[in-house]
Amino acid sequence: MKTKKITGGKITLFLACAAFAVGIPAICNPYQMTVVNSALIYFVAALGISIMLGMCGQMSFAAISFMGMGAYCATQLSKTLGMPTLMALVLSAVFTALMSLWIGALLFRLSGGYFTFATIGLVYICSSLFLNLKPLTGGANGIVGIPDLNLFGYNLDSLYKWFFFLFAVCILCGLFVERIRRTSLGRSMASVRDNELAAKSLGVNCYQVKIISFVIAGTLAGLAGGLIAFHNGTVSTALFSFQIATNFVIMVMLGGVNSTVGTFLGTFLVTLMPEVLSPLADYLRLIQGVLIILMMIFMPTGLAGIGQMLLSKAQKRLANKFSKKKTASQEVGQ
Amino acid sequence: MEPILKVEHVDKAFGGVIAAENVSFEILPGQIMGLIGPNGAGKTTTLNLISGIYSCDKGEIYINGKNVTKLPAHTRARMGLARTFQSPRFLQRSSIRENLMLGLDLADQIGYISSFFGKKRSDFDTELSELMGMAGFTVNWDADIQSLPYGQRKLLEIVRALLTHPKIMLVDEPAAGLNSKELMRVLEMLQFAAKKGVGIVVIEHQMDFVMGISDFVTVLNFGKLLSQGTPEQVSSDPAVIEAYLGRDIDAEN
Repeated sequence: MKTKKITGGKITLFLACAAFAVGIPAICNPYQMTVVNSALIYFVAALGISIMLGMCGQMSFAAISFMGMGAYCATQLSKTLGMPTLMALVLSAVFTALMSLWIGALLFRLSGGYFTFATIGLVYICSSLFLNLKPLTGGANGIVGIPDLNLFGYNLDSLYKWFFFLFAVCILCGLFVERIRRTSLGRSMASVRDNELAAKSLGVNCYQVKIISFVIAGTLAGLAGGLIAFHNGTVSTALFSFQIATNFVIMVMLGGVNSTVGTFLGTFLVTLMPEVLSPLADYLRLIQGVLIILMMIFMPTGLAGIGQMLLSKAQKRLANKFSKKKTASQEVGQ
Repeated sequence: MEPILKVEHVDKAFGGVIAAENVSFEILPGQIMGLIGPNGAGKTTTLNLISGIYSCDKGEIYINGKNVTKLPAHTRARMGLARTFQSPRFLQRSSIRENLMLGLDLADQIGYISSFFGKKRSDFDTELSELMGMAGFTVNWDADIQSLPYGQRKLLEIVRALLTHPKIMLVDEPAAGLNSKELMRVLEMLQFAAKKGVGIVVIEHQMDFVMGISDFVTVLNFGKLLSQGTPEQVSSDPAVIEAYLGRDIDAEN
């Protein structure tokens, strides 16, 4: 039952990544790079939602709160305490991991829809705290002048440098998630998602598994928060509103809830849409809303589902052509 | 020999409905117990109490001599309690491979972090091919679980339960919806497990099957123990006959 093959899909994915890494900096102006970079940062947090919702079946809006915690924590550690930026980034991820462990242990006393509602409560609590804990968060004005991220002496002082760093982080996070999917943790999560009764009778501690998924999601969101703080050089409460929290869920749903590549596509779709459709800015929400409903009706597996369908069709067509040629040459041979 | 499973004076009520009242039995390693009774007699409730899906109102349950009455379902599963369900429960959105691996995870108990770094058991393939030989069909491991016909899914659930290396198996209506060929396969697999020392509880309505396979039979009616004994004793017990067939009015007159 072993399968370690280099498949067509993997090659396509590798080539797409390479093309992305080379192509984007070549064609994008600095403003567009900012948008692309923030999409990459959002992808890290959206991966967390993909784990929670796609793998573990738990709908959570909390990512935005942990992103905020990570951002403010990284800011305070580096700007106020003068800690090296990379260390501040790592510590802020650790801090959000601990926070999500605590909050997850609390909220997962609830199940299903009640849990989801509780995470909405968390988002409101956190955005109020971000706004009012002025000594820590700068209140409505936010905090400016956050230092550049420094990687062992290498300063990330341009958007292009940031792009390569962020893309590498995204790939690492993506590989991390894909690895989880293939281990006993991924299977335990899937069992919690599909059938808790079966999960329990197969020795899966559902409560524990849900908390683990929540902590992974929280840590990824915290990392994304730290990244966005260093990338933008500023943080403000507007970044961590409920509006953005819903955006995350839309990214994952549009992209394909249980797919890393799909989440990537969804993140870019949602982040780029306001830019591409800027002439129609007033109708943006309308267009998004209609798109969501259409996708859910016709393609519930999201962009990833469409991609997979196209890929398997192409493969079939290729295979057909190949076999036709083969039989033809065999006939000639006879 | 120590009983592998001991159920002692277990009670369970849902609101005013008594689902189990003073139910007791013991199973030795390698024994197969049939659990029968009319619909609503509390058979599945009893299984749920043993596996920890429900908690007992009263009474004690012992696995391998250890009191598990207060332990959650997943802990009992890790102690070697496997079960199958009336209608098979799988991960609907996962492949057959992943579904079976879940059983393996339970047997291995490697831990999430070791598993993340690639630790796994090597003898999985041989064990699986042996079990699938008994199940009598082959599948495409990467296929969707829903692509399998119902009978094969039921057999596969037993295969998954066996992959967990259980000490006790609770099997809920394995024969329902199976053809006679598949039924033979179930019989073979359960007898194979019993030979290995697994204690088995089988709920079944098909009398030929349950009477054929069981070492002894426990009969429930309205949550209460009605009769217990060898298949012959039970099937000639007037109380059992009455519960199943009703009283003969002519005979009363």
